[in-house]
Formats: sequence, C-alpha cells, structure tokens
Amino acid sequence: MIRDRGYFHWDGAFIDRRWPWWPITRQGLRLAFKMKLFKFIFVGSLVPAFVFLAGVYISERLEDFKAMVHGRGTLISVDPAFFKTYYSIDFLLLMLVMLMLFSGAGLIADDAKHNALQLYFSRPIRKKDYFLGKAGVLWFFLLILTLVPGLLFILFKIIFSGSFALLRSFPWLPLSVLAESLILTVFFSLYTLLLSSLSSNRRYVSIMIFGVYIFSDILFGIFYGLVRSPYAALISIKANLQQVAAFLFRLKPAFAVSWVYSLLILGAICVLSVFVLNRRIKGVTVIR
Amino acid sequence: MSAVIETHKLSKWYGNVLGLSDVSLQVNPGITGLLGPNGAGKSTFMKLVTGQLKPSIGRVLIDGQKVRNNNGLFGRVGFCPEYDAFYEGVTGWQFLTAMLRLYGFDTAETNARAEAALDLVELRADKDRPVRAYSRGMRQRLKIAQAVAHDPEIIILDEPLNGLDPLGKRKIIRLIRDYRSEGRTIIVSSHVLPEIEAMTREIILIHQGKILATGDIHSVRDLIDTHPHVVSVTCDRPRDLAARFLGEDYVLSVNFGSAPQTVVVETSNRDRFFGRLPGLLVETGIAVEEITSPDDNLQAVFDYLVGK
Amino acid sequence: MEQQSLVLEDIHFSYGQVAALRGVSLTMGSGAIGLLGPNGAGKSTLLRIILGFLSPHKGQGRVLGYDILCEQRSLRRYVGYMPEDDCLIPGMDAVSFTAFFGELSGMPRAEAMKRAHDVLFYVGLGESRYRLLETYSAGMQQRLKLAQALVHDPRLLFLDEPTSNLDPQGRAEILDLIVDITSKKDISVLISSHILTDIEFLCSSVVILNKGLVAAQGLLADLRRARFNLYELKVKGESDGFLKKLESRGCRPEMTEDGLLKIYMPSGLNNMEIVRAAAEEKVQIRQFIKSRTSLEDLFAQTVGVD
Repeated sequence: MIRDRGYFHWDGAFIDRRWPWWPITRQGLRLAFKMKLFKFIFVGSLVPAFVFLAGVYISERLEDFKAMVHGRGTLISVDPAFFKTYYSIDFLLLMLVMLMLFSGAGLIADDAKHNALQLYFSRPIRKKDYFLGKAGVLWFFLLILTLVPGLLFILFKIIFSGSFALLRSFPWLPLSVLAESLILTVFFSLYTLLLSSLSSNRRYVSIMIFGVYIFSDILFGIFYGLVRSPYAALISIKANLQQVAAFLFRLKPAFAVSWVYSLLILGAICVLSVFVLNRRIKGVTVIR
Repeated sequence: MSAVIETHKLSKWYGNVLGLSDVSLQVNPGITGLLGPNGAGKSTFMKLVTGQLKPSIGRVLIDGQKVRNNNGLFGRVGFCPEYDAFYEGVTGWQFLTAMLRLYGFDTAETNARAEAALDLVELRADKDRPVRAYSRGMRQRLKIAQAVAHDPEIIILDEPLNGLDPLGKRKIIRLIRDYRSEGRTIIVSSHVLPEIEAMTREIILIHQGKILATGDIHSVRDLIDTHPHVVSVTCDRPRDLAARFLGEDYVLSVNFGSAPQTVVVETSNRDRFFGRLPGLLVETGIAVEEITSPDDNLQAVFDYLVGK
Repeated sequence: MEQQSLVLEDIHFSYGQVAALRGVSLTMGSGAIGLLGPNGAGKSTLLRIILGFLSPHKGQGRVLGYDILCEQRSLRRYVGYMPEDDCLIPGMDAVSFTAFFGELSGMPRAEAMKRAHDVLFYVGLGESRYRLLETYSAGMQQRLKLAQALVHDPRLLFLDEPTSNLDPQGRAEILDLIVDITSKKDISVLISSHILTDIEFLCSSVVILNKGLVAAQGLLADLRRARFNLYELKVKGESDGFLKKLESRGCRPEMTEDGLLKIYMPSGLNNMEIVRAAAEEKVQIRQFIKSRTSLEDLFAQTVGVD
C-alpha cells in the first residue's frame, strides 16, 4: 500500500473537558517558566516562606538554640502574629507583585497585540474559560506563596511541637490562613489581569503593574505627611492588604482606620477588574 | 528618446545585508510593473529612485539629473509606500494639505489640489474625519491621493491595490491607465501578478538584489528557453489531433490535459506550430472549441525565472 | 443527497441604527464558495453570525446542522477559521501552538499533538515546526494560520483573505493547498477575498453581498454566462485579408487596442469558419476562446456602481 499524500481527515473523537480552561493555564505556566529571570524571582519569593519555616522549627527546638537565647523565655513564638507578619512583609508583597509582572503582564496584552484573541474565540470556549485559564496561571504562583506556606507552618508546628496546642489555642487559624490567601490571590490576579487587558504592549503593562502598586504607597506617604490622618492609608494598596491581614489574625492594625474600608477598596478594584475585562474582551472583535 | 529614469550600476548594502546589486536599467514613460519575491530588493529600488537612500555604488538619474539630495526633482515624483505611517490624530484633509504645502504651493492651490485628489480617490466625504477612524481601504486611498496630488510626472506605487475592494481596485487601475495616456511614467510594484497584467505588459523582475528580466512579458517568455511553450487545444477529437501533432518535429511533447477533450502540446517553435494549426484543423475537419497558451503569462514567467 | 453545510434564512442584523444585514438568505453545499462584496457590504457581520458570535436580530439558520441562535458554541467545534491578520503567541513553536488550539477545540491532548504534526507537514511547515513563531516569514505565518484552522478537522472552513501579503511564490503555494483541500468532497470552504482572480481559480460558486443583501449567488459557470457567440482571438500575420474574409461571411470582427480580436458570429455560422478563413489567409490563431463575463465585470454589474 502507499499512503495518500493529500489532505486527510482526523478519525479521533472530541472530549468534553471537565476544566476547559486547563490547557490555557498549562500553556501560561510553560511560557512563564521559560524566562530565566522569572525563575530567579520565583525562587527569591520563596525565601520568606523558608525563613519562616525555619522559624517554626527554631520555636520548637529551643534547646538546640539555648546557647543563643541566654535566659530569654522564648525566641520565637508561633502565634497569629507570626502568620500576620508573614503575610504582611513588604518583601513578600513586593515579590508577589514581581511575580505577577513576569508571569502576568503579557497574559492578555500579548494576545491582543498578536491577534491571538481571534484564535481563542473561534474555539468552543466561553469567555469565562479564557479568563479562568489566564487567572489560573497567576493563581498557581499566588497560592504557592500564600496558602501553601500558611498551611505548612501550621502543619510543621504541629509536627515539631508534637501537639495540637496551636489549634486548641487558635482554632480559627486555618480559616484565617485560607481567607488571607484567598484575598491576596483573588486581589492580585484580578489586579494583574485588569492591567494586562488595558494595553497591548507588555512593557507598559509591566510598568503599570509595578508602578501602580509602588505609586499608591508613595502617594500614601505624601498624603500622610500632609494631613497626618490614618485615612491616608486607604490610598496604599500595600497598607490596605496589611490592614486586612491584621484583622484576619485578630491583631491590632497598623493604622487607626477600620479594616472594613480596606477590604471594600480592595473589593472595588476586583469588581472594576471584572467589569473592565468583560467589556474589553468582546467576542465580536474576533472578526474585524 | 532618453529614458525618464535611468540607473547605472546601482547597488546598495545595509551594513553587510544586500539590498541591490549592479542594477542598470531604463524606465520609459508608461506603466512598468516591478515584481519579485520578498526581500528581493524592490523597496530598496524604490527608495533609491525616490532619493530616500544613498546608493552605495552607482547612480540613479531622473531626466539626466542625479536624484539624491536634488530637491528640485522631488516635486516631480510621487511615492505611495506600502506601509502606513500616518499621524493618526489629524484628519485626512489636514494630512493631505500638509503634504501639499511641503511642495511649496500656496493656500488656494493647496486646497484646490487637495479637493481634486480626494475626489479622484473618493475620499471627499470623509476628509474631516481623523485618520485613526479610517478603514484599511480608506488609508490606502489617502496614500494614493498624497502621491498624485501635486501632479507628478513620475509616480511610484508600492502595492497600491492592497486593502481595496474589487471596485476600488478597478478605479485605481483606471486612474493609473489614464496617467499613462497623459504620458506620465509610473512604476507599480505588486505581488498579485494578475493585477499587474491588467495594467501593463512592461515588467522589471528583481530577485536576490539583481535584475532577472526586463521588458514585455511575452518577449521575456520567448527568451526563456529552458521551458518550451505550452499550447492547449480543446476540440471534439483530441486523440486524432494528438496523433497528427506527433508527426511534427517542432512538437516536443503531447499530453492530454486534465480538462476533458483537451490536448496539451509543448513546442519549440510557435511560428511553425501556429502556422500549421489552422490548416491541420481544416484538413482533419476537427472542430476546435478553444486554443490557449497556459504559460504565456506573468505567473509562469515568474515561476520559471525565480522558482525552484 | 448532499447535506447542506450552511442554511441561512432572512438574516437581519443592525449595529444600533445602522443595518448591516437586511435579509440575507443563503445555502451552501460542499466545495469552495467565494464570498465577495465591497467594503461595508456586511461580510464580516455575516461571518460573525456564521461563527456564532452574534445572534441575528431576525431570521434563523443552521450551520453544519447546529442552530445559529442556540448552539453557537457547539458549532465552533466543527468550524475552522483562518483570520486575515497574522497571529501568534510569543515563545511558542508551531507544534505547541497548533496542538494548543487543537486542544481548545476539544481534542484530547495526545490526539491534538499527533494531528498538529500531521497538519504542519501538510501545509509545508514540517521542517520548521520546532522553530519559534516570531521567526516565521509572512508565507510561513499564512500556512500556520491554515494549520490551526485545520487541526481539529473542521467540516466548514472559513478563509479570510488567504493570499494577502504573500509574494507570488507564496500565493501560488497557498492556492495549491486550498485547491487540494477543496478537492475533498466533504469539507465546505468559504473564501473571502478581494483578489478576484484567486476566487475564479478556487471557487465554483460565489455569493456577492452588497449593502446588507445578497446581490448575486450561484455557480460561477452559470453567472459568467458565455456571451452569445462572441469569440476572443489573438492572431499573428497579415490580418487585413483575414478580417475582410470574416466580414464577407457575415461576422463582425473588432480589433481592440490591446491586440485582441473580438469576433461576433451570427447564429447559424459555425466557428470553424473562422479557422477556415485563417487557414486560407495564412494567419496564425494563437488564442481562441469564447468570451465570458469576467468575475470582475460580474462584480461591477452586480454591485451596480461604475
């Protein structure tokens, strides 16, 4: 026999995926990891997690470090403040922003610039699947840096201390970890997608992702210097995130303004993002 | 009669990237088609002729004068580039009048010329809308308008029909033909060979920076001796006709075409073939329906000269 | 009985106040159909409706058996779209790109990968399928777009200006590919192009849209009716005697400025008379064809402007 060399048909069968957005996420992750610089940043952002994990270890195996302690009762105590500190470190938040920048700036911007949106939407996927797929890329990194360390801290503490004392004292802790992780994840992913959809130039989007975050903080500093009011904190994204973290771990917030306002502001940005994304990515633009 | 545009050993390199190499040719009044694969050197050629680039070797002359830095000449040349480079915020009218002003016309004349040019390309109705609102076809027509508004004798058009719908193409082709009748010199570059054939039979074929062929399409075809001429005859008794052809020594091969009732013949001598054919048909009483030369066109010329 | 791949009835659509489609009805079988029309005629709107992105304000239709009003997403599984603009995803190579879109069409991952390789070989990108897309030339880009349109084996293929921005070699190659695809009788191909010679070459039927309505529709052979007994010749030799002889037999010859000889034959006269006259006068006939309206003239007549 000889094989016919012209066009031939495919004899396979279509499948209905449970998660139709998964190929998009997988692709986005592959592209993100291709960048060398990104890998460095990813590793760098894991540093706080490792440091805190070490802290959990130290807090239990105090005898090994008695030499360092010289009489002080406890060096490190793993309590809600510990968690709140992790979730509020400037460095961690900044790293999250950098991760968003590298893995997320081009997510929608590149598709707009290179006309790939036409190809996506000529497939039987819903707009929702497209966004979920893109968001999935960001959620991967965000959850690895928020939810996973949080749960690991709890787990390791239990293992090293050999008891459930932590959970008995603070039974709401796992829920707070979950809530905080979700807030950070949802906020940063929507923030990034919103900015990525505003421009078709990946560089501009990167600048915006970084710039808006930093600038909001700088603006806060300026206003605070002028009016000396704690309400100035509501301008800074970082401050708002820290306020909410403080509330979730039942600690006193850094600024004398209610955490509810902070949450509302973060929520408003998320709602705005969903609204804008829906408007900007219209299926009809597939064909000009 | 000396040619309008002449080049002598024209060559251009960008660093070590070849643009054109050793091009010597003459362009006469009328329409000349410029064709070649991507990267062959067509844009380089056009930019050299319009004075935008300086030759590395050789020179380009228009009416005997060097083109480069010769501002007096620029008023006589119109150029329509392939790519858009508009200021998106200005209106079509502002753009065109600004371009015209650069030629030194006063206000009244600028306005008159702009109106006339916009009429030619049928953009009059949209002249006050900003360029960013223009569709692709409208941008193309605006580019053509700025190329002809100052009434140049020499018009150089790079892919002028790109983006136009069939009616638009028809109008522009008609416009270009009118210019030919007025004695102007037009160079048109296009990748769509049938469109060049609709305008002219004079061509310049560039490949890898060199001129592969110039002249009338059919003369060029005649000169290609690696590919004998192909003639296709559709008739009621193709096999009888084929049998008779086989006996003639100037017939190199006989095939039966994919279309029904068709004989396809390769011949080394068209004069003898066509000289014999009517007589042959009358002798045998074969009724002919169609006689064509399938490879006597620009696509064939291109394929034979450039193709693998 | 041939299944109609596309049936549209009385489709209306308006963007706000502007009516884009004002009652378009059309049917399509297999083979290649050209979609023509001036800019603004409603082609892109029609296309959006066929691909299931817009719901018509009035009218109904079925594409590949799927209702265009309520089964829009399902029908996209069986339709392939080759857009006019170049598209790519930076950082991907051709295989990943094609397989990715195959997966999004609903193919299992392994099948998509297998089919991606096959399709890339078919369109001629076999050698370069591992290269990054940013390095692709215009011709390769065009083939890539065709590959992603074919990867899920669609039953309806839509090609939007498939030969734009290609050099003559690239055009010829893409045209050959399209001819091969359309030769398979079970795939319908709808081609939108402003280059009428391509449409004549590729398509057996055309639909001409104008101002939101179908201005003409049908087989090209029917629409381009042969002009009754009008022949176009190219001759070489001393033609005066030849022309006189033709006139004496009742024909009306007319020489145009391009060197084309048009001969109007009265009914009752066989075209062999022309050949006979040529043989007697020792004139060579280098071209002999029955005159037909060109697609360009048909277009101009149908759209009604000139």
